[in-house]
Amino acid sequence: MTGARLWLRASVLTRLALFIVACSGVIATKAQAHPHVWATIRTELLYAPDGSVTGVRHVWTFDDGYSAFATMGIAAKTKGQFTREELQPLAQVNVESLKDYDYFTYAKFNGKRQQDVFNEPVDYWLDYDPQAGELTLHFTLPFKKPVTAKLLTIEVYDPEFFVDFGFAEDDPVKLVGAPAQCTVSTEKPYDGNFLISQNLNRSFIPSEANIGMGMDFANKISVKCP
Amino acid sequence: MTSEGRCLHPASLATLIVALTLTIGVHSAWAQFGPFGGPRPPMVGGIVGWVFVKQAMFYRALAGMIRLAKSDGSALWGLMGISFVYGIFHAAGPGHGKAVISSYLLANEETWRRGITLSFASAVMQSLTAVTIVGVAAVLLGATAKFMGDTVRVIEIVSYGLIVLVGARLLWVKGLGFVRAWRDLKTVPEKASLCSGTDQRQRLASNKPPDQVYRCDQADADARTHHAAACEHQDHNHDEEPDLFPWGHAHGPEPQELAGPGGWRRGWSAVLAVGLRPCSGAIIVLVFALAQGLFWAGVASTVVMGLGTAITVATIATLAVGAKAIAKRFIHERGGYGIVMLRAIETGAAALVLIFGVLLLAGYMASERLAGF
Repeated sequence: MTGARLWLRASVLTRLALFIVACSGVIATKAQAHPHVWATIRTELLYAPDGSVTGVRHVWTFDDGYSAFATMGIAAKTKGQFTREELQPLAQVNVESLKDYDYFTYAKFNGKRQQDVFNEPVDYWLDYDPQAGELTLHFTLPFKKPVTAKLLTIEVYDPEFFVDFGFAEDDPVKLVGAPAQCTVSTEKPYDGNFLISQNLNRSFIPSEANIGMGMDFANKISVKCP
Repeated sequence: MTSEGRCLHPASLATLIVALTLTIGVHSAWAQFGPFGGPRPPMVGGIVGWVFVKQAMFYRALAGMIRLAKSDGSALWGLMGISFVYGIFHAAGPGHGKAVISSYLLANEETWRRGITLSFASAVMQSLTAVTIVGVAAVLLGATAKFMGDTVRVIEIVSYGLIVLVGARLLWVKGLGFVRAWRDLKTVPEKASLCSGTDQRQRLASNKPPDQVYRCDQADADARTHHAAACEHQDHNHDEEPDLFPWGHAHGPEPQELAGPGGWRRGWSAVLAVGLRPCSGAIIVLVFALAQGLFWAGVASTVVMGLGTAITVATIATLAVGAKAIAKRFIHERGGYGIVMLRAIETGAAALVLIFGVLLLAGYMASERLAGF
């Protein structure tokens, strides 16, 4: 009965707190935890001579923590350095598992969400930057059929938010061989990655403590070819 | 003071408990459901969003401190501090561990002290499994990330299987308790309330309104405890009527039973079920620390993280135990229907444990991923 008595004493505040917690329960989220992996994205859209889009080439650089995890147990001739060949089996595993996550790449043609538009990745490899301790994954996703949509939107995100994707600071998106009249624009979820180091200080400011409200983590690439 | 004035009406109390269970239970589960009907960008809002922001912030700071500690030993203190705060925040987000522990506590006759002990034990165990896995796989075996991911997957299945077993057993015991309380109510209503035997008869004899008759809680604290125990016993005393089940009293264990070694053993099964699955963050941090040549700093950080986690889980567990205790108090005053309600809450909480286990095992409810891909 001790618990009950404590409860009675603290009743109003505790019950209020409980109510708030209960309310937060109503705001269900799909993300199950905070991100554990940070990936900086650079993406190229590949064009055929006829102006259709044939594929998406991704270059994703992972944070050093996850890179250390991913490279553990991989034999290297030089300690602390990995060659492309040494990393190839891992690259293989990566692209194979990425399939289960739709390559974290979602396409819209003229604003309409598409399913299952990519073939299996080609030209994939990993390289390792020993200075930064960062692993970079390169791979190309060919479209099953070349895309001729006037408005092509590519979104990169992890619906479960285990991986936090963010565009690189400079030139994150390039059009390769695109017709001259095509224009590209990018939309970040908000400035920078979910929490890249330079935003860290900002997050400590209490007035911004609610940046969690209505967050949308998709990195959006829109190409218009009139 | 009337029973209404002292705190809550039983109905609002039931609502409160339902809200609590929903919050720690279903919300955690809900939050972990995979995307239905095609993935959408995650929208994270409200308190959970705020918790995520804090989690991510401290998690990144954790990696930063390890990086720093490589060149500057004094950063180790910062690492410990951040590990602790990260542990607190990490446990505040959705997760099946809290859901299972809270439901388990709601379903059982637990003291808050035992609630806290179970919370600490499960959090410490989680840290230890993380250290053991990384220690054996990475340090001794030189295993790859994929091997480690597969190992965690196997551990996960065992852990979810255990949750199913714990839930099934609880549901069996509590469900029978519910059936018995229901039957008591239907057949001999006046026998079903706490302090029923004499009190009810006194009440009937004196014809006083219920608020003026003798109640357990009007005695002083010590006497109350003894009396309550005695009453509980009366409540469970079915000698005068034929038993519903040939093997005798099939409802929940008595508090004194739970305090014994058998009760602890049952508690440990919940701890084991929850604590087996290490947290992905701890594993990555440990491997990162290992790569920087600071494995022991990583181990210390993981243990401190576990302490932080324990504090949050213990807080939630205390709420669950408190709600249950207050529920019992009011429900017992309400007599037969109250007992049925109490058993119904317990049965519901037990069912929740089982449902979590089945959903986790079936993969409908995802737990933390380890390898991103």
